[in-house]
Amino acid sequence: MDNLTDFSQPQRQSLLGVLVMFADTLQKILRAMWPILLVWLVKMDASKTAFIYLGILAFIVILAIVSYLQYYFFTFYIDEENSDFVIQKGVLNKTRITIQLHKIQQVNINQSLIQRFINVYKLEIDTAGSDKKEASISAIPHELAIVLKDRLINYASENSTFIEDKEVVEIPSSLLKISLSSLIKIGLTSNYVKSFVLFIVFISAVLENIKKIFDSAQTQEDKVTGYLEKLPILTSIAIVLGTIIGIVLVINLFQTIIKYYDFTIRKDKQSIVLSYGLLATKNTLLHPTKVQVVTTTQNFFQKKLDILTIGIRQASSNPEAKNKNDKIDVPGASSLERDEILKILFNTFPEKGKLMLPNWRKLVLESFFLLLIPIVVFIMVNVSFDLFIWNEVVMYCSIFAFFSGILLWFSYKNYKLFVSNDFIIKQNGAWDIDNTIVEPYKIQAITTKQFFWQKATNIGSVTLSTAACNIDFSTANYSEIKKMVNNWLCQVETTNKNWM
Amino acid sequence: MQEFTNETTEIIDLPRFEEVKLNQLQPKYFTVVAIILSLINFIILMVYLVTYYFQTELFSNTIWLLMGIAILILIGLSYPLAKIGIKKKGYAFRTHDAIYKSGLISETTTIIPFNRVQHVALHQGFFSRKLGLASVELFTAGGNSSDIKIPGLLLEDAQKIKNLVSKKINPDATDELQNVHNILE
Repeated sequence: MDNLTDFSQPQRQSLLGVLVMFADTLQKILRAMWPILLVWLVKMDASKTAFIYLGILAFIVILAIVSYLQYYFFTFYIDEENSDFVIQKGVLNKTRITIQLHKIQQVNINQSLIQRFINVYKLEIDTAGSDKKEASISAIPHELAIVLKDRLINYASENSTFIEDKEVVEIPSSLLKISLSSLIKIGLTSNYVKSFVLFIVFISAVLENIKKIFDSAQTQEDKVTGYLEKLPILTSIAIVLGTIIGIVLVINLFQTIIKYYDFTIRKDKQSIVLSYGLLATKNTLLHPTKVQVVTTTQNFFQKKLDILTIGIRQASSNPEAKNKNDKIDVPGASSLERDEILKILFNTFPEKGKLMLPNWRKLVLESFFLLLIPIVVFIMVNVSFDLFIWNEVVMYCSIFAFFSGILLWFSYKNYKLFVSNDFIIKQNGAWDIDNTIVEPYKIQAITTKQFFWQKATNIGSVTLSTAACNIDFSTANYSEIKKMVNNWLCQVETTNKNWM
Repeated sequence: MQEFTNETTEIIDLPRFEEVKLNQLQPKYFTVVAIILSLINFIILMVYLVTYYFQTELFSNTIWLLMGIAILILIGLSYPLAKIGIKKKGYAFRTHDAIYKSGLISETTTIIPFNRVQHVALHQGFFSRKLGLASVELFTAGGNSSDIKIPGLLLEDAQKIKNLVSKKINPDATDELQNVHNILE
C-alpha cells in the first residue's frame, strides 16, 4: 500500500481499467454507428454470416488491443516540485494534462454500473479556470481513490486562507442523512414540468414507433377513443388527466430515489463530502470557501410538508453556460436540516436583512410583455388565417390570461431582495420559490442598468456577477440600488477574504 | 465574518460611484466605428441589390421599394447613433475599482473591483492601429457579461491603464519586474 500511495512517481490505473476503457470505447462506437450497424443487420446476406462473425471478432480484438494500449499509456502523478497533478495519456496523440493543485476545487469519486461490477472507481477533478480540461481517471481502486482525493484536496487547502483553519476549530465533523421518506416527499412534489415533458416525448416516440410497425395502429386508436367515447366526457378527461399525473408522479419518484438514495452529507476536516445514488454511487467533495451561491427551492406542497431542495453552486469556468456539473443539489431537506447545511456552508445562519421590493411598474411591464402581447399576436394570427371561431378565441384567451395572470401576480409578489451586512438573499419564483443566498465578498462585478424612460421615475436594475451565476434585481428604486452598490463595493474592496 | 464590521450608518459617507466624473473616449474612435459601420452597411446594401437583381419575383415592387427605403433610413441613422453611442460611453479608474458606462437606450454601468480582476488585455484592431488607438479589457471570474472592454483609448493611455491595473492585481510581480528592469539598466 505504501508504494501505491506514493503519487510522486507516474503510475497506471488499476489493470481492470482495461475493461472499463474497452466498455467505454465500445459504447462510444456503438452510439456513433448504430444506424449503420442496424442497416447492415437488416440487409445481411445469410451466406455471409461467417464473414460477419469474423468481422465482429476482429473488431473486438482490435478494440481490446487499443484499450490495453490506452491503459498502458495512461499515467498520472503529483509533481511535488511544481505542485501540479499530471495526467499523461494517448496512444498516437500524446496528451499531457497539468493541473495546478491549488486550482483544484472539487474531486469526485463516482462509480458506473460496469465499474461497480469490477469494483473500481472513477476519479474526476474539477478546476476553476478559463480553460477547463477534462481530467479524470476512469479505473482506480477505492482506497487509492480516497487517498488521492485527500492528497489533492488537502494540498489545495494548505495555501487557502486562514479563515478555513478557524472553521475547523469551531465546527466538529458533522453528519447529516436524508431519509427515504424525505426523498419520497420531494420526489412527489418537484419537477412536474420536466417529467411531464419527458413523458410526452416518450409517449409520442412510442406512438410514432407503433404506427410505423403496425399499419393497423388506426384500429387501435379507434378502440381507445371508442372506449373513451362511451364514458361521459368529464369522466374521460379525468381518466386521461389522472393517468398522466399518476405516471408523472411515479417517474419523478423513481428518478429521485434512484439518483439520491442514501444521501449523506459529511463534514470532514476542511471539506464537505456528499455521497448518494442507488445504482451508481456518486461521491462529491467540495470546499465551503469555494461555494459561491446557495439556492433553496420550495413550492406550495413542499412548504406544507416542510421540505425543500438546496442547490449549491461553485465557481464555474463559464457562469453563463450554467454548467450542470457546477451545481450540486441536496434534495429533500427539512427546514431544520436546511439550517444545519447552511451553517456548514456559511458558518452562521444567513439572516434575512433589510427588505427591498420591486416597483409596481414591474408587474405592469411583465403583464404587457407576457400577457398582452401574446394575446394580441394570437388574435392577429387568427384574423389573418382564420383558425378558430371567435367564441373559441375568447375562451382560449381567457384561459391563458387567467393562468398567466396568476403566475405573473405570484412571481411579482414573491420578488424580494433581502440585504444584510453579511448576506444578500434574493427571493423569486411563481410556483417554485427560490431563495438565492450570496455573500457580498463573493461578488466579482456589479452592473447597474437604467432605461432612459426609467430616469423620471427613479427606477433601475442591478446585476451582481459571481463566479457561479448572475443575480439580478430589476425595476426597483434606483437611488436605493446605488446606495447598496456603494456599500457592496466597499465590502468587496476592503475584505481580505478570498472569494475562493 | 466576525472580524469585518461595516456599520450601515456609514453608507452616506461612502464614496459614490454614480458621482465619479467619467473620461470620454477619444473622438478619433468615431472614425474606426464609422469605417466598420460603412463596411457592414455596404454588405447589407449589396445583399439587397443582388437579391433584387436575381430574384426580383420574390416580392412585389412596392415591398422591394419599402425595403430599400427602410435600409437607406437605417444606414442614414446608423452614423449619428454611433456618434451618440460613443459620447455616452465613459470610464474611470478609482483607487479600488474600474467603472465603465455605456448605452443609448439603457444606461449600463459596470464596476469591477481591482481585487476581483483576473487579468487585463490590450487589443488593437486593424483600423485602430492605423489611428494609434487601442482598447483595454478587464476580465473577472464572473463571466463575459461582467467583463469590461474600454475601446477608443490612445495607445499610450491604454498601456498606462494596463500597467496600472496589473500593478493593482499583483503588486509584487510588477515590483519584481521593475527590479529586473532596474538591474538591466
